[in-house]
Amino acid sequence: MGDFARAKPIIEVRNLHKEYPLGEETVVALGRINLTIRRGEICCIFGTSGSGKSTLLNLLAGLEKPTSGEVRIGGVPLSRLGEEALAAFRQRHLGFVFQSYNLLPGMTAVENVALPLMFRGIPPAVREKAAREMLRRVGLAHRLDHYPSQMSGGQQQRAGIARAFLARPDAVFADEPTGNLDSHTTVEVMEMICAFSRDFHQTIVLVSHDPEMAAYADRIVTLIDGEITSEKLTHRRDT
Amino acid sequence: MRKQDLFRLCLQNLLRKKSRTLLTVLGVVIGGCSIVIMVSLGIGMKESQERLLSELGDLTIITVSPPQGGKGKTKLDAAALRRLQALPGVTSAMPRRALSVDSVRLIAGGAGRYRADWAPVLGVEMKELLPMGFGITRGEVAQKSGEVVLGQYTAYGFQDTLRPEGANTVDRWGAPDGEEPPPFLDPLGKTMTLEIETESGKFQLPLRVTGIAKEDYSKGSETSEGILMSLEDLEKIAQRANPGKKQDQNFDAILVKTSSISKVAEVEKSIKAMGYATESMESVRAPMEKEARQKQMMLGGLGAISLIVAAIGIANTMMMSISERTREIGIMKALGCFVRDIRLLFLAEAGVIGLAGGIVSCVVSLIAATVTNLVSLGGLSGENLKISLLGGGARVCVVPLWLLGFAILFSVLIGLGSGYYPAGKAVRIPALEAIKNE
Repeated sequence: MGDFARAKPIIEVRNLHKEYPLGEETVVALGRINLTIRRGEICCIFGTSGSGKSTLLNLLAGLEKPTSGEVRIGGVPLSRLGEEALAAFRQRHLGFVFQSYNLLPGMTAVENVALPLMFRGIPPAVREKAAREMLRRVGLAHRLDHYPSQMSGGQQQRAGIARAFLARPDAVFADEPTGNLDSHTTVEVMEMICAFSRDFHQTIVLVSHDPEMAAYADRIVTLIDGEITSEKLTHRRDT
Repeated sequence: MRKQDLFRLCLQNLLRKKSRTLLTVLGVVIGGCSIVIMVSLGIGMKESQERLLSELGDLTIITVSPPQGGKGKTKLDAAALRRLQALPGVTSAMPRRALSVDSVRLIAGGAGRYRADWAPVLGVEMKELLPMGFGITRGEVAQKSGEVVLGQYTAYGFQDTLRPEGANTVDRWGAPDGEEPPPFLDPLGKTMTLEIETESGKFQLPLRVTGIAKEDYSKGSETSEGILMSLEDLEKIAQRANPGKKQDQNFDAILVKTSSISKVAEVEKSIKAMGYATESMESVRAPMEKEARQKQMMLGGLGAISLIVAAIGIANTMMMSISERTREIGIMKALGCFVRDIRLLFLAEAGVIGLAGGIVSCVVSLIAATVTNLVSLGGLSGENLKISLLGGGARVCVVPLWLLGFAILFSVLIGLGSGYYPAGKAVRIPALEAIKNE
């Protein structure tokens, strides 16, 4: 593990607290969490449903605002960014892999993968060249101009991964990325995510309830009822 | 996002739900068509009204006469003429004076066979005749002293002295089929004799007819059944008819031509302020125009109602589209799409629906207007098609270019307006929607 101990922290969580109003009561989804994830790490957040793991991911990615506390990514405090600044930050520093792939149905694989660069205003020729390159990397060279409806779940998720890594973000958030896939495809997809993390030295935050995911993680954070109950480092990468 | 990408995305989204987009566009087309056609009917109405008025007389001419029939202190003299000519908006002014003698007789033909017992003589400035809007149907304006222009129907005033009483004139309205029978003689180019009779005696002088005027009562009945001659000639005749008497140096009237119809009211007002009596078609035209404008507003209002319905249609379509695309908008936001781009995207979609509707409604209403005009003109022919599109005849619908431009612009604005609220709704959809799993 030696590498990671010295690597710079990329995601820093300080006293992160989140409450939801529920009728007249408030439900505490996350209670004062502290967490540091270092550059190049694959961090797996474990928990059963209702443990607050999805809330944590949303807060880490700036999709929701915390009740109190702070999330910094690369030193930038997310909760202090305005909406447009947050969008600009996402364009350049964050990637997403979703459980239900979330490719836009009206666009081909290439257009979908190129989407983050389109939002950044990169010309079509440049961004689609990059997208084709990424799709070849994930083994979809023969599916470039297919629409999501013409692809299998595994293929769609590989396109989703290509999209998440296209802009070489600082951190990629993956929410149950294999939740809708069979076991064979799950292995394929997870190995692909790990390969990208290794090749581009990219940080990945993985949310899952599946203990098998642990096999791919460098750091395993377990959440129960909105509290971190255990946090341990594996020695996977040293071998 | 680049503008091209935004536009491409917008078209992509609209084409994904073709039938819905088409129906919404259809709503705009109906709204746009009703506005264009209603307004074009209004313009057509106004055009035919103006045609009618201009047949009654030149709309830009004001007849100025001295107050109290010329017996008051304010006279129409050479100084008044200069002042009228100097008024802003006046292009020219022409004095006229009628010959006041007991009897004027025209004698023509060999041995004085044809005689007209009555012909009013009007003195005008020959060189101002055409600029003032007098029409010359045949021949040309008189150039020299002793030359005259006859009224359009003066020739019908001649009697044939060789025919018996009762059959010695040609009745202009006499032919049963409505066509005018030819008079006994064509005076154009002929020299005839003018016989003047006053208390001091009778004298004759020769006149050469160089042209035939067009009947226009706004310029004087002489253009129909009289004689037009130069003021100088008229003065000589008047002097000879009343020898020894001091000549009245004032004019009976001065015709003032304005540069355009819109100047008439203003010029007329300032002439009245100078103390003269005026007369023009403005008193007829103004209330007619007001009525036409009211009708036009009413028709346009009817059209506007259907465009409002279309606007609601667009808003409805956008709302549906947004609720269907909630997740998509969430994904776009999660991937870093700017909020302003999302707003622009939805505004563009609504605007494009409006634009498409506007363009199609222009084409449709142009076709509808053309068909209506062709039917009212009596069938398809090159000539009728030309009248329908460019004017020059009686047409029901008039679709000027500005109306088409206005219709397109208005449709786009309607689209943008009705897309405004839905776009605001789309913007408020949180990025979190992307994470939710069905």
